Amino acid sequence: MSRKRTTMASLLVALLFLALSPLCLAAGLDAQDLLRKVDRNLEPESYEMYRKLINVEPSGAKKEFVLYSVKKGNDKVVALFLEPASDKGRSTLRLGDNMWLYIPNVGKPVRITSLQSVIGGVFNNADILRIDYAAEYVASIEEEHKDTLVLMLKAKTGEVAYDRLKMWVERKVLLPVKIEAYAASGLLIKTLHFKDIKDFGGGIRRPAVIETDSPLYKGYVSIMLYAGIKARQFPDEAFTLTNMHRVEELRK
Amino acid sequence: MRRFAACLAAIAAFGTYAYGAESYTFDASQFEKKPFELGGYLELKGDHFALNRGAAFYQLNFAGIAPRETLDRSTATLKLTGKARAGDWLLTARSHSESVHDQLAHASESRFDELVASWKPTPGFTLDAGKTVLKWGKGYAWNPVGFVERMKDPNDPELAREGFTVLAADIVRSFAGALRTLAFTPLLLPVNSDVNDDYGRHGHLNVAAKLYLLYRDTDIDFYFLNHGSRSRRFGMDFSRNIGTNFEVHGEWARIEAQEFALLDTAGALTRRTQAATSWLLGLRYLSERETTYIVEYYRNGAGFSADQYRAFTALVQRALQAGTQSPLYQRVQTLAPSYGRQNPLRDYLYLRVSQKEPCDILYVTPSLTAMVNVDDKSYSISPEILYTGRNNLELRARAVFLGGGRGTDFGEKQNERRVELLARIYF
Repeated sequence: MSRKRTTMASLLVALLFLALSPLCLAAGLDAQDLLRKVDRNLEPESYEMYRKLINVEPSGAKKEFVLYSVKKGNDKVVALFLEPASDKGRSTLRLGDNMWLYIPNVGKPVRITSLQSVIGGVFNNADILRIDYAAEYVASIEEEHKDTLVLMLKAKTGEVAYDRLKMWVERKVLLPVKIEAYAASGLLIKTLHFKDIKDFGGGIRRPAVIETDSPLYKGYVSIMLYAGIKARQFPDEAFTLTNMHRVEELRK
Repeated sequence: MRRFAACLAAIAAFGTYAYGAESYTFDASQFEKKPFELGGYLELKGDHFALNRGAAFYQLNFAGIAPRETLDRSTATLKLTGKARAGDWLLTARSHSESVHDQLAHASESRFDELVASWKPTPGFTLDAGKTVLKWGKGYAWNPVGFVERMKDPNDPELAREGFTVLAADIVRSFAGALRTLAFTPLLLPVNSDVNDDYGRHGHLNVAAKLYLLYRDTDIDFYFLNHGSRSRRFGMDFSRNIGTNFEVHGEWARIEAQEFALLDTAGALTRRTQAATSWLLGLRYLSERETTYIVEYYRNGAGFSADQYRAFTALVQRALQAGTQSPLYQRVQTLAPSYGRQNPLRDYLYLRVSQKEPCDILYVTPSLTAMVNVDDKSYSISPEILYTGRNNLELRARAVFLGGGRGTDFGEKQNERRVELLARIYF
């Protein structure tokens, strides 16, 4: 009987430990480590994924884009437009702070800047070609609540699209719930709401939806739906200008 | 377990999300890579030209035709793109079919802009054989280093163009450190009566190459074309972002032997061959109000001086007085393609200002483009509005106003005004 009680107690302790481990983890990590953990919980370091971007106008009219994206390491991302037909074959490449756009009709990559938007609406190029938050920002813990932590992220350089980010992180799963993006002037540029946590397989469990609104575009909402996120390795040469019109060939 | 994994994969590839009354679904499996693809667009364009009856090029192009004040032209263009894949091989075809109709003529044309087979065993190596479009240079309106391509129209720089038949390779290497990327593109371009017959002198196998570096966050290219169908030429370009909203670029090209057909003020013709150096400097700036400015200065080393151009237009008047059968008129007709080409003079300034989605109206982009001939102060001004708010539909309205007076580049063009309406339907 006493042995059974001991086993039960051990089990309870183990369960309690498992339940509280994210909190312990959060408590034991500094802000930058926490941010790295958030990055890894959102995506593997190198991956492929599919996204649908929906721009919704106040009238209810909407425009949709489907992108295939590939990322490697800390600073390499390439995205290919699969839909609509008018944008099919366009690709965008990011190598560190460098960004390019390839349009099939134009036939050569042109440099673009992070604040431009290749799709219009609330999303800009930095949102579409996002690299790890920890690669671009220095984090500090601003507030601690029972269920959430609030991180303040300051851009490491002037090349980063948003000067500051305020990130609400759910302590239990170390995933963002909301991010506010600010310009250097303190102006709120946009707010991202992370929703619908889903298991993508391969140990990836993250929000499948990001809803974005902006006080600069009152009444407009942009929605990003995620699918098919998989860890995958690519050679560095996949992330070059020469390869931009052949991104499709990376898909299996 | 396998069934569970398959189920999980299916769930991962499929999502539904409700926003307001709308429910959005996303099934990534619908976008699987296909062995065959077909797409393209249909373009319908209407142009209204207000003709400049006093201009040299009106008088040359409309000689023997009843005088006209205006001309209306309608153009239907179908561009189809097809791809076929097998292993490391890719076949790309891009066709162009066009039908043009105005009050004076009707013309139709069909061709392949591109028909090329590519072998790509790794992302670091590609071999292309066939007709393909190579676009060299960083300039938006002009590309002095565009040695192996058809000339860009600065009035519509993003227009798809026809390629040349080549055998080309791309060898790419990536590194960590200041030099991030190194890419070498050698190519062979044959010219004879069957292949690339409009490129230059026949009977040559032209060799060209491009070396690209991404060095310290700057794109740098070096270009070379050997002596053959055209004289030897070489050049370089660069492009770099300075901040999150500012880009600078430049090009420089040297042609070793450029042929000039020069006229003096008395109309005497001298043919001369000499080296020519062209260059371009440009920037692209995005303001906080999301206004994009593109500014470029182009020095055309193969261009004419304002005096030489004025002498040509004066010669046109004398030739017309002498009659269309006169030797002087025949000489003018021989010179006309050279003086009538895009941007035939030496110094040009280009400015394009476009405002993304003004007054929060999504997908509407008004813009204003100005091209000024710095030598004779003539100009072209073009307001435009583009709407892309409906999936797979692009609508554009544009007006072009030319001015500068007699004897100037834009003042002697065939038209003094043009209104264009364009609809492009993608599928």
